[in-house]
Amino acid sequence: MTDPRVERLAGLLADYSLELREGQVLRIDSLDAGSPLVLALYGAALRAGALPYTNVGLSGLGETLLQHGTEEQLTYLSPIQWEEIEQLDALVTIWSETNTRALSRVDPTRHAAYIAAQRKLSNRRWERISNGEMSWCGTLFPTNAHAQEAEMSLAEYEAFVYAACHVHEEDPAAHWRAVSGGLQARAAELGSARELRIVGPDTDLRVGVEGRTWLAADGRYNMPDGEVFTSPNETETEGEIRYTFPAVYHGREVVDVRLRFEGGRVVHAEAARGDDYLQSLLDMDAGARILGEVAFGLNYEIDRFTRNILFDEKIGGTMHLALGSGFPQAGGKNTSGLHWDMICDLRDEGEVYADGELVWKAGRFLAEPARAVVESGVHG
Amino acid sequence: MASVPSRLERLADVLVGYSTRVRKGDLVCLDTGPAAAPLVHELWERVLAAGGHPHLRLDVEGAPELLLREGTNAQLGWISPLRKAEVERADVRIAIEADVNTRANTGIDPERQARAERAREPLRRVHFARASAGELRAVVTLYPTEAAAQDADMSLTEYEDFVYHAGLLDRDDPAAEWEARGRRYEQLAARLGQRKTIRVFGDGTDLTLGVGGRRWIPCDGRENFPDGEVFTGPVETEVDGVVRFTYPASYAGRRVSGVELEFRGGEVVRASAAEGETFLREMLALDDGARRAGEFSFGLNDAVTEFTGHTLFDEKIGGTVHLALGASYPESGGKVESALHWDLVCDLRSRSEVYADGEVVYRDGSFVDGLL
Repeated sequence: MTDPRVERLAGLLADYSLELREGQVLRIDSLDAGSPLVLALYGAALRAGALPYTNVGLSGLGETLLQHGTEEQLTYLSPIQWEEIEQLDALVTIWSETNTRALSRVDPTRHAAYIAAQRKLSNRRWERISNGEMSWCGTLFPTNAHAQEAEMSLAEYEAFVYAACHVHEEDPAAHWRAVSGGLQARAAELGSARELRIVGPDTDLRVGVEGRTWLAADGRYNMPDGEVFTSPNETETEGEIRYTFPAVYHGREVVDVRLRFEGGRVVHAEAARGDDYLQSLLDMDAGARILGEVAFGLNYEIDRFTRNILFDEKIGGTMHLALGSGFPQAGGKNTSGLHWDMICDLRDEGEVYADGELVWKAGRFLAEPARAVVESGVHG
Repeated sequence: MASVPSRLERLADVLVGYSTRVRKGDLVCLDTGPAAAPLVHELWERVLAAGGHPHLRLDVEGAPELLLREGTNAQLGWISPLRKAEVERADVRIAIEADVNTRANTGIDPERQARAERAREPLRRVHFARASAGELRAVVTLYPTEAAAQDADMSLTEYEDFVYHAGLLDRDDPAAEWEARGRRYEQLAARLGQRKTIRVFGDGTDLTLGVGGRRWIPCDGRENFPDGEVFTGPVETEVDGVVRFTYPASYAGRRVSGVELEFRGGEVVRASAAEGETFLREMLALDDGARRAGEFSFGLNDAVTEFTGHTLFDEKIGGTVHLALGASYPESGGKVESALHWDLVCDLRSRSEVYADGEVVYRDGSFVDGLL
């Protein structure tokens, strides 16, 4: 029997995240393990009158390519892939690994060559997404591998994932529309702040955000979602921060990261474990020592760290500050090959001040954003 | 110490090294369902080793059915950019049937099924045109599943034995075996190519087909695997008489049995079936070409001796002939165009004869001159 939560998630993706309309071409990307959600989404898309098709991979094939492929094969992009991109109106990526560590032993330089080649395709995809020519949403189908990464049983992990997407109840779209309203209002309110000061254990950091646009992540690009974010001024970050959760990049963990910023740049960095990796990533390029993102995690259904950035960056009561590339749509100007989200738990002792005023304490904003102000703000 | 390759490994070797001859730089599409994963892994490795670029298109179980059941006409008639790009761009295509339920579409409205078939016709045309022009090397094979075993009234183990035996994969050098067979099929094709009419006598069958000027094509494991037939496209207006097909035939997940057809001037003028007659009639009415015989062929694979309910194998049974309703293969000189290509098999292993230009050339399942 089909899990009704899978059906609801599929409906939510089709109707709310992508707002699929008649005649729109949708490609559904997944691994074989995600098939139940692929099928449910395929059905939801058909019912919306869209033209869905599936692009499903088998676990292990990528690994074989990375292990045995020649350089030409590793960096090959087929004409099929290029032609498809231009014709998509919508794309869904369903992460559904059967082994999250399958690539752990692959030669990093070969892996990097593969990723660099694939980036040409994803750049073109992002170009079309930011031009409004296509929509994209990334989501996850719970597998034992992801559950194992989160140190849960599959049943527990399913409950966690589906609650985070709010598909454990009827009418998740109504929930997300309400969430979206709240996040938009919060983003608008933060838009008037010049500086945020983040205070917590071993953390006292000032981040300049004047003139930058705060954006609401409300379930259109990710499901689950729930954050407001911007790209801070590149030269104004000052002070220290200690990241309580392990920082994960390309499957490798760095534990207990501490950073000191001066004039926007990291001038000192250390980690209890994985320090070499941390230092090598900071030296990747000129932009890797500069913050590209500051964000509030506001999905309170996500209440624990599960080693998956799709969820971790949205944990209600956390902030994440990413090193590396910024978001042009937020006014960010930093460019880098790196975008490394690191998460700071502020649920116990954290405080955030906006232009000197305490706005957040112990993982919550102190006041609801004033929605009426937002609306008059739009017209005034 | 080198280990003896498994039958699955040999199948992958033959498909990549012999059937499609994958070369450096080839874009190789693997088209199948998740049940064939073990074969996909073997093929993927070999395509990479040959310097090719493997590309996978995997069906999602239930999705085609959902489309046929719930799709609007626009959705049924739509071809995805992926399918289109694959057919236009691939240098090699390896299609692997791996059904987990061969009857999943039995309950689908045939009219809707026909609509979906017609939509794929342009793809099929591009496929055959590129294959004829030598731009595309394409092979169809089958990975043994429980569903296919069930259709054959066998256990999976028995069915695996059957499938791998049919492909000569239980022999040391299957590719060499297929090459040798191919040479014999070529000689037979050359002899048949000099004849003008073929007349088939059998149980309930007396059918005359004009084949003058048509080419006979030897099938040696490059387009079908396993293989073993020599076929042509009969002259479109010169098929006359009656034919009774021995075996049930499935098309698009539906089964008909006891099919009898009467041809006059190349067209089916009477059709009946013991089972599935409505479906047979619907398929005959699919388009103009569906009432014509696009192919006539001798099944020559002596490693396939029994009926298993799957065309890929049934049409190759040594000692049978088959006739296809619908599209011909242009390389044979046949000109029938249709969205249909439905092979129907007639067992000639007992009490039967085939005449070529009035001379007996085939009796009870074998060519009389001992060529095959």
